[in-house]
Amino acid sequence: MPRCSDRFPIDSEPRASPSAHPPIRPSAQRNPIAVSSSETVVETKALTKRYDDFTALDALTMRVGKGEILGFIGPNGAGKTTTIRILVGLSKPTSGTATIAGADCLNDAHKIKRLVGYMPDDFGSYHNMRVSEYLDFFGAAYGIGRSHRIKRIDEVLDITGATYMHDLYVDALSRGMQQRVAIARTLMHDPQVLILDEPANGLDPQARIDMRVMLLRLSEMGKTLIVTSHILPELARICNVVAMITRGKLRAFGTLDEIMRDVQQKRTFEIMLISGDQVERVGQTVRRWLQEHTVDDDDTAVTCAQTEMMVRFSTHLNDREVAPLLSHLISQGETITQFREVATDLEDAFLSVANAGDRSDGGVADKPASSEVSSGVSATGADA
Amino acid sequence: MINPVIQREFYGILRSPRAMVVLVCLTLAFSVLVLMRWPADASVDLTGTQSLEVFRVFGYGLLAGIVFLVPAFPATSVVNEKNDGTLALLLNSPMSALSIYFGKTSGVLLFSGLVLLCSLPASAACYAMGGIHLTSQLGLLYVILSLLVIQYVTLGMLVSSHVQSADAGVRVTYTIVLALCFLTLIPAAFFPGAGGLVSSLTSWLRNISPIPAVMEIMRHSGVGAAGLKQESAIGEFIIITLVSSGVFAALTLSRFNYRIFDRSRAKGLITDDRGRAAKTARRLFYLVDPQRRKRGIPWYLNPVMVKEFRCRKFGRSQWLLRLISVCAVASVMVTFAAATSATSWGVEAIGGLMVLLQVILVVVLTPSLASGLISGERDGSGWELLRLTPLSPLQIIHGKVLSVLWTLGLVLMATLPGYLIMILIQPVMWLQVNIVLICLVAIAIEALAVSAAIGSLFRTTAVSTTASYIAVITLFLTPMLVWLGRDAPFGHETVETALLLTPVGAALNVIGAPGFENYDLLPLAWWIAGGVSILMFSILGAKVWRLTRAV
Repeated sequence: MPRCSDRFPIDSEPRASPSAHPPIRPSAQRNPIAVSSSETVVETKALTKRYDDFTALDALTMRVGKGEILGFIGPNGAGKTTTIRILVGLSKPTSGTATIAGADCLNDAHKIKRLVGYMPDDFGSYHNMRVSEYLDFFGAAYGIGRSHRIKRIDEVLDITGATYMHDLYVDALSRGMQQRVAIARTLMHDPQVLILDEPANGLDPQARIDMRVMLLRLSEMGKTLIVTSHILPELARICNVVAMITRGKLRAFGTLDEIMRDVQQKRTFEIMLISGDQVERVGQTVRRWLQEHTVDDDDTAVTCAQTEMMVRFSTHLNDREVAPLLSHLISQGETITQFREVATDLEDAFLSVANAGDRSDGGVADKPASSEVSSGVSATGADA
Repeated sequence: MINPVIQREFYGILRSPRAMVVLVCLTLAFSVLVLMRWPADASVDLTGTQSLEVFRVFGYGLLAGIVFLVPAFPATSVVNEKNDGTLALLLNSPMSALSIYFGKTSGVLLFSGLVLLCSLPASAACYAMGGIHLTSQLGLLYVILSLLVIQYVTLGMLVSSHVQSADAGVRVTYTIVLALCFLTLIPAAFFPGAGGLVSSLTSWLRNISPIPAVMEIMRHSGVGAAGLKQESAIGEFIIITLVSSGVFAALTLSRFNYRIFDRSRAKGLITDDRGRAAKTARRLFYLVDPQRRKRGIPWYLNPVMVKEFRCRKFGRSQWLLRLISVCAVASVMVTFAAATSATSWGVEAIGGLMVLLQVILVVVLTPSLASGLISGERDGSGWELLRLTPLSPLQIIHGKVLSVLWTLGLVLMATLPGYLIMILIQPVMWLQVNIVLICLVAIAIEALAVSAAIGSLFRTTAVSTTASYIAVITLFLTPMLVWLGRDAPFGHETVETALLLTPVGAALNVIGAPGFENYDLLPLAWWIAGGVSILMFSILGAKVWRLTRAV
């Protein structure tokens, strides 16, 4: 039986092509209006959901274009699931509107059900049912005619690489297999928009790769995808638009590159040394040098990790401005094995955006921006 | 040092709201019973008849309480722990399997002891009224009930160690408990005074049930005794209960190792993928081949109904056919055996027995089918998926209710041959049988409505199944308990009012079952059953509507 990975070899894995989005500044800006350039399919306007005194979603405004994959990122309790539940018509917003392909998510619930395929975090299996019967039931529930339904079951199983599961019992499937069947179920009625809640959760590495390939394939088919995940590197590889949400507020929206650019206001460098005895000395030197070469003292942040023989610092300075520091250290007689910039990934970007947002709210950050604290580590500098 | 599992089990049960409800309801019921029957006039009852009347109602009530409430707790005890993953942690700890089992059993037993303790003030009041012997009646009743509790707890634990879900644990345990209680009485009723091995076997079988032992304590003659002297049931009951409890405990204990987690997954081999010979053989031997590839759901069928049938372990066609066949054969056998037994029963008594058997079937089957209609979906996250489909709440209810109604209808239809034999014996009973069948349909609808409505109020399937069983059994058993106390302590009017609650009394009245002839129950019983069903379906509808709307 064909497997997804057989049909889409890993080495020819398609990549998400970032569309041209206008840069949106994240961070402290309160509820930025997020817009994508292509034909808008999903749109929310000042979407708000309150439970008594608690605001789960605060004036969320964003637009997602046709064929895009939106990575919806946020910590637990950020408001992701609330947003999704409103979009699929399971929850009612306190104020604001949400539309999918022009249909109002609250008032056109019947239309929305045909436009959207939603895969919740829980699989929702039924006992004693084979995969084909499971899909047959949902097809019938969507009013698909019997002959067309039987063909459609084969099609969606083929798309999701689950043809070999046709006659297997649903409750005997592994997590990865269930995820495929769940996506097949969401595709049964050929929806325009797919909303997938944690599709890679609990999957092994191979299944994750298969899932990634499958989602990109669906995007190529013209489906608009909204995907939530805690595995941010996974999202980074497939999403062409990212939305970051914390405490019910949209903190950043745009392509990954745009968000990285905005987040990287401070760059982080690492200096690797030949001996641990150098660490304290080099740390002091770097701190002094930065204070001499930067206008604002707050800009300097130096962390020393003796056991790792490493000094790390963050700065606003650009390459040309920071290059003399290396010459200065060498002129001081220090032996340096590496002097490199630490690449910022989606996780760093998210933490940066989330913390900036939390600080702007006057709240306490969920996690520290840098988790560089271990035994044998001392910190110097203004931020330390 | 106290076994930590005992502490956790006992406190866990005490913290659950249903335990609190059980204890409060039982205490209230027993208090009300004593208050109702406490002598208010100045005259003294020297014969002790009045206190015996109260003691009988109290004793049977307590027995019913034990039978219907206690199994719910052990039935979910092991399976919940297994599914939550904590059983694996316990088995991985230095605790032995015996101490884990002992801890879990003791926790449930301690709670059951509390249930018995709740009844002590009421029993003390009965004793204070005079006429009740402390050891041979009151003490013995508590001994019998305590043994029954031990038997049910060990049985529930055994079932719980074999099933895969808490819901299945509750269903299977209640089915076995009801079978042990009621079905075991039937053979002895058919062969009274047969003598020899048959009599001995039926007597032992009869004494598996706690009812004959309790009846003996209450100074009632045995079930189906038909005036014949029966040997004491208490000794045999005690022996059977102790031995069976030991066996249940040993069997459960043997599962407390890797075996409890070992479960093979069905491969799902399809007949269509087999060779021609295998295909032909399966088509020949299976009337409906369970492994053939299904065609899609046709447009004229409600997809939810089809889904319900397919999801049920015994909902597939081949199982339904087997169930119907068993019911048909059983009904013919009951009629035949009763008609040819040593005692001449008469068609009315046979009809009464048939009605009672059908009611037991409905009471056992309906909550297991209907209680999880909504909670099963919510428990397994299927509800969210159903809400996402364009199906309306009405379509969902319609499909779900139809799936239960069809099953019940088929099972009831299967018992028709028994009635046909009755009509052949006595053709004038044609009209009576028709009315009885209408009553049975009303019973099935009422039981379905109550089970579905009560079940929909709870989120977890196990709790909804337990609650539905208790509600349905209480609804159908209470009038029978009141009927047992006809003339004393309950008067004719009270018994008639109680029998109006369900159409069971009306069916027995129409068929002319002994003891039911003097009541005027129709058509009021139908109206009441209809009213209760409409009310319950309204509750179900309101609940489903509330669950399907966006909030």
